[in-house]
Amino acid sequence: MSEKLALLVPEIIVFLTTCIVMVVGLSPNLAVRRSCGLLSASGLFIAAILAINGPAGDGLLPGLTPYIKAVIALIGVLLVMLVAGTVDREEDARVSRGGVFNALRTNRAEFYSFILFSLTGAMLCASASDLIWLFLALELTSLPTYVLVTMSTRGTRSQEAGVKYFFLGALGAAVFLYGFALIYGGTGSTKFVDIASIIAQQGINQITLAGMILAIIGVSFKIAAVPMHFYTADVYQGAASPVTAFLAFVPKTAGFVSLILLLALVGWDHGTDKVSVGHTLPSQLRLLLWVMAALTMTIGNVLAVVQSSPKRVLAYSSIAHSGYMLVGLIAGPGDYGAGFAHNGIAAVLFYLAAYGLMNVGAFAALAGLERRGRDGRPVEIDSFDDLRGLCAGRPLLGWTLVVCSLSLLGLPPLLGFFSKLPLFTSGIASGEIVLVIVMGINSAIAAFYYLRFAAVAMLEDPSDGPKPLAAPFPARAMSGLVALVLVISLSFFGDALMKASRNAAVVEGSGVRAVPASPSPGHKAGDRHDAASPAAAPAQRVGA
Amino acid sequence: MTIASDIMGSILHGALGAPGASGAALPAIEAGPWWVSLIPALPLLACILCGVSAAMRIKSKLPAWITVGCLGVSFALTAAMFQQLAGGRSVTIAWEWINVAWTDSGGHERSLIANFGFYVDSLTCLWMLFVTGLATLIALYASEYMSHDVGTGYCRFFAAFGLFVFSMACLVMGDNLILLYLGWEGVGLCSYLLIGYFYKKPSAVAAAKKAFIMNRIGDLGLALGIFLAFVQFGSVEYKVILEAAQPWLAAAQAGHFDEIPATVQLIPILLMIGAFGKSAQLPLYVWLPDAMEGPTPVSALIHAATMVTAGVYLIARTYPLFLVSEYALPIVAWVGALTALVAATIGMAQFDIKRIMAYSTVSQLGYMFAGLGVLTSTGAAFHVFTHAFFKASLFLSCGAVMHGFAGQLDLRKLSGVGFMKGWQFVAIAMLVGCLNLAGFPFTAGYFSKDMILAEAFVTPHMAPIGWILLLTAGLTAYYTFRVFFRVFVGPKYYEPGDEVHAHSDHGHGDHGHGEHGHDAHGHAGDHGHAAGEFHPHAPGWAINFVLLTLTVLSVGAAGLYFLGDHGGWVGKMVHASSANYPPIVDLAAHSGEAADAHAHADHGAHGSFLGMDPHKVMYYVSGIVGFVGIAIAFALHYVGRKTAATANADKLVPLLGPIPKLAQGKWFVDEVYDLLIVKPLHLISIVFAYIDKLLVDGLVNAFGWVPRGVGSGLRPLQSGNLHSYAVQMAGGVAVLLLIVFLASIAGL
Amino acid sequence: MPSTLAAVELNSYLPIFIILLMAVTFAVANVAGSLLIGPQRKGGNKGIAYESGMNPVGTARKRFNVRFYLIAMVFLVFDVEIIFLYPWAATFPNIDPGSPDSLVWLGRILFFLFTTVVAYVYGFRKGVFRFD
Repeated sequence: MSEKLALLVPEIIVFLTTCIVMVVGLSPNLAVRRSCGLLSASGLFIAAILAINGPAGDGLLPGLTPYIKAVIALIGVLLVMLVAGTVDREEDARVSRGGVFNALRTNRAEFYSFILFSLTGAMLCASASDLIWLFLALELTSLPTYVLVTMSTRGTRSQEAGVKYFFLGALGAAVFLYGFALIYGGTGSTKFVDIASIIAQQGINQITLAGMILAIIGVSFKIAAVPMHFYTADVYQGAASPVTAFLAFVPKTAGFVSLILLLALVGWDHGTDKVSVGHTLPSQLRLLLWVMAALTMTIGNVLAVVQSSPKRVLAYSSIAHSGYMLVGLIAGPGDYGAGFAHNGIAAVLFYLAAYGLMNVGAFAALAGLERRGRDGRPVEIDSFDDLRGLCAGRPLLGWTLVVCSLSLLGLPPLLGFFSKLPLFTSGIASGEIVLVIVMGINSAIAAFYYLRFAAVAMLEDPSDGPKPLAAPFPARAMSGLVALVLVISLSFFGDALMKASRNAAVVEGSGVRAVPASPSPGHKAGDRHDAASPAAAPAQRVGA
Repeated sequence: MTIASDIMGSILHGALGAPGASGAALPAIEAGPWWVSLIPALPLLACILCGVSAAMRIKSKLPAWITVGCLGVSFALTAAMFQQLAGGRSVTIAWEWINVAWTDSGGHERSLIANFGFYVDSLTCLWMLFVTGLATLIALYASEYMSHDVGTGYCRFFAAFGLFVFSMACLVMGDNLILLYLGWEGVGLCSYLLIGYFYKKPSAVAAAKKAFIMNRIGDLGLALGIFLAFVQFGSVEYKVILEAAQPWLAAAQAGHFDEIPATVQLIPILLMIGAFGKSAQLPLYVWLPDAMEGPTPVSALIHAATMVTAGVYLIARTYPLFLVSEYALPIVAWVGALTALVAATIGMAQFDIKRIMAYSTVSQLGYMFAGLGVLTSTGAAFHVFTHAFFKASLFLSCGAVMHGFAGQLDLRKLSGVGFMKGWQFVAIAMLVGCLNLAGFPFTAGYFSKDMILAEAFVTPHMAPIGWILLLTAGLTAYYTFRVFFRVFVGPKYYEPGDEVHAHSDHGHGDHGHGEHGHDAHGHAGDHGHAAGEFHPHAPGWAINFVLLTLTVLSVGAAGLYFLGDHGGWVGKMVHASSANYPPIVDLAAHSGEAADAHAHADHGAHGSFLGMDPHKVMYYVSGIVGFVGIAIAFALHYVGRKTAATANADKLVPLLGPIPKLAQGKWFVDEVYDLLIVKPLHLISIVFAYIDKLLVDGLVNAFGWVPRGVGSGLRPLQSGNLHSYAVQMAGGVAVLLLIVFLASIAGL
Repeated sequence: MPSTLAAVELNSYLPIFIILLMAVTFAVANVAGSLLIGPQRKGGNKGIAYESGMNPVGTARKRFNVRFYLIAMVFLVFDVEIIFLYPWAATFPNIDPGSPDSLVWLGRILFFLFTTVVAYVYGFRKGVFRFD
């Protein structure tokens, strides 16, 4: 009992911060209210440190828990910086002009606490060791985001986006909940460890398989993968840019963590005729993920190409990135000791962290700019014209945008390249040559629109007419700067993160508990056994 | 056995003594001190700091002082490295650069190791001493010479300068062929940047491109050579390669070249192509004279003293490979000799003094190659060393003239410069340089040239090369003193060059002016001059100091010859390095103690000069040839010369028929290349351009349009309508389930 | 396995089927009953959408007091609290007071109460309890 509680210390910290922020955000004193962002960031930072030093998880991927919690909390800090000023701008202005503070008209407390709730949910996903837990954690991640989208701007587009997001999210949740129910029906347990050991001993039955398929498709709503991607562009565009950055990272991370956990139930030890070594998912799941990955990256990229709004481009590209990461899921953790390059799970985990940073950087450039609307209110920029000549006019935002978009494109020697490369290599190692080729072609298509960002910002002259103004929130530019520095420095000194992601990708066998996070040298490739044979003991199935 | 193998075999037989006598083993490799890495690092630091200065828009001479300081320290470290060396060899690894290991298809463990490691032996020290030393001096000179460009241009110049020294240090000090290649390309790049320094001048841009492209041809050979060396020896490190060639030396001595694998014999030939490109040998020499478009300090350092000797260094460094190749050294010798002759003939007919110096550089480089080819790596290295000093001082003197007379370089428009006020140092430097280049007795150039000449006659089958080189020596003396007699002595006269405006632009705030207040007003004597407003300005202290130092050094270099037997100090340095074995032939001729080891050296194979021992007689012969050349120049260009433009030589020109015209037109080699290579390539490129435009671009555009088309096709699905989205999602789930279901049934 | 599973476990779904059946029967019976028994008049006011309700003409976005929602939500907070507290209170006495479990149980409910307090403070500051 208390062991599980120890595991949850980071989440508890974030939750306590949430409670404080909820109350502080309603203070009649403006300065106190404004401390919400700082409080949230500090809480997340403490949670990240506790997560890094915290115990390994008790699920199938013990190393995953601290790693992904730390990543979520740290990028959460950047996101909290990025959302500065999204809500309550007019209210604050009114109060500082001498107006009377009206608690009902301020949204700050709710906004920050929902962000923290959502981050808590994502972190809880990583702690999940049970289907019900996972479901609740996923919903805790998603439900606040529906509200965040709605309240992020005062325009009706946000409300429309929020409603769409909510209904379609409910649809997605229904699908994966159905899947979870079938998995329970097929195995008789909701506990991951039990499910995994039953599948390892008895093979995977039809009901479980159907459950897995529905669960995967349902969870793919969170990662915006085909066919659950339709909401993405509308919702991302409807939300304010900082919130869009949040949507592109937090639910996606929660979704990928859930997918990894779900696939670990089945394991990657179902050898098929395609690959001689026994490292592959059951063929149905493999096919499902293959189709989803290929469609997701292709549809995301081709739709991004035809967009004219930068936010919509980033929205579709976020779909494409999910498609790339699905390749890593297919590849699985590979042979024990195969190294980072052949470990698809490690690649995904590394990619999530890298994508989070690049994503913050790219959106920081958008969020750092604004225009005056017709009624004199600040509105977000939403066209490439506003980004013209950004490097000359506002070098920090401009170069952040250039570097992050080039990195998202995967241009060597930037971080994006080093995070995409292991996806390619692990895909090849697992024999998915065709999919890797599709991925290569897609990366080339992605160059089309990412280079457009870089070229517009770096090479073109500012367009005539009124130039966009800097948003009066230094924290936004600061988050971009931090992201920029991290992207560049991780491009050259990313070894530690790579190592951490590799340790996080150790898939433990069912029934094996209290295993240190780092793999002990005793695990050898030969320890693997054929999961289809019930005689084999449920020992380590796959070492990372 | 072919004729060539006979030649090479007998050369080596003479060189190594009887078969079985193997060359001296190289000393063991020690770990070198860490600070050796600073020698290349400091120029790089200077480069970076100059870049920072440019970014900070510094408008002072700061970049020059940074560069001079860094290079000076680098030189001091080189001297310390030389002190530490004591005949051994060491490797300092700055950091592990490339280290890849794999198992090839045959199951053999292969690895590619190329560290940023610095291989230090006496050959390295020899080269680095004059590279860093001259670089320091010339940077000092350039601080004044480039002063009219203070600002970004100044920073750009010194940044490239620092980068050049860094690259040259990598080239010379690298402990493997890949680092050498990096340096090789680096110096090529810097050369390109500096030739094109005046990038607004079309001729400078064209010259820069020409140099770069010509070098690419050579570099291709070098790259292939490195690849082949790796394939053959499984390593690119000198310590492996140099040892690997040893087992075949005995076979090479005996002339049994058929026992040596053809790939091994091919490697030096490929490397040699690289050397020909970088060191401006036939047929790739045409870029070097054009490279004089760059600022003069660049011409002096890069295109006379250091970079162009990289080819000599490469061959000297990999000498063991050349020794075991049937054709390599004879080719080197012949190419070198012919280059020396051709360049000298062209140099005789030029009027641009800097260009004359450029051709003389090509010609002297030919000497060095011939020296390598006739198996006197000592002579070649010695000539590199002496040439570096006197050619640098010659170039810098020409540069001083050019600087002072607003870009005037035509020897028909300048006369008696040496007698003008403030130009004495320049004239002295020029005179000493000319004497050296002409091989005047007891100058450094005399000793080094003599060594090559003598060896050419000693080495069997190489006498024709000796005769060509002797003829060239005479021609060299003539055209060298032609410059001196025309420009520095005689009646005082000048016409300013076309940079008058630039000159007046740089203003009198410039310290070169203010400090000296020189008014060497050019209305010298009774001759008027074209631009009445023009006042030539004599060089300032930095230029004079550097010229004086170089003059002293080039005189002093002669003394090195007496610091030991068989080639003096340089000989000692070369003997202790990989360029040594086989022990050079003249051991036997000179009555040195080491000669006893080879007392049985076959004198039958020893060549002779008209029946006399070349080593002894060549002192007199080359001295006489030099005298004759100078005397002819004196008679034709000094005696009775009344004006700058005309001389006695003009009367001779008609008697020689078309030859002077052809020589003046550089034998129209450029035109022939243009016709044979450039024009056809241009035609082909036009064809390809069209193919590219229509076919390739078309395809690419088509590929570009496919995603757009698909995207546009998918767009209607993104209707923004919640109901449609829900239906599409549900439909998508159904389709995916169907796919998996069908696949399960089909048993996929 | 799957076949036996279906056979055995379908039995346990029987009550659900019965409830479903009852629900459907109830709905169908009511509609059918009103059709059969109720009077059938036509024309005039009978044709409008809400014959005895409010006038459907006018704006649909009628404002009414937002406090209605607030009070409903505050009610939920306490409602859920009671729903959780009751089973906890019923179970807690059964736990051995000396066991570590009892502390954990106590801690949990205190944490839960803490969250309720936070909700209450939040509601208070938001002004939900100011009925003016």
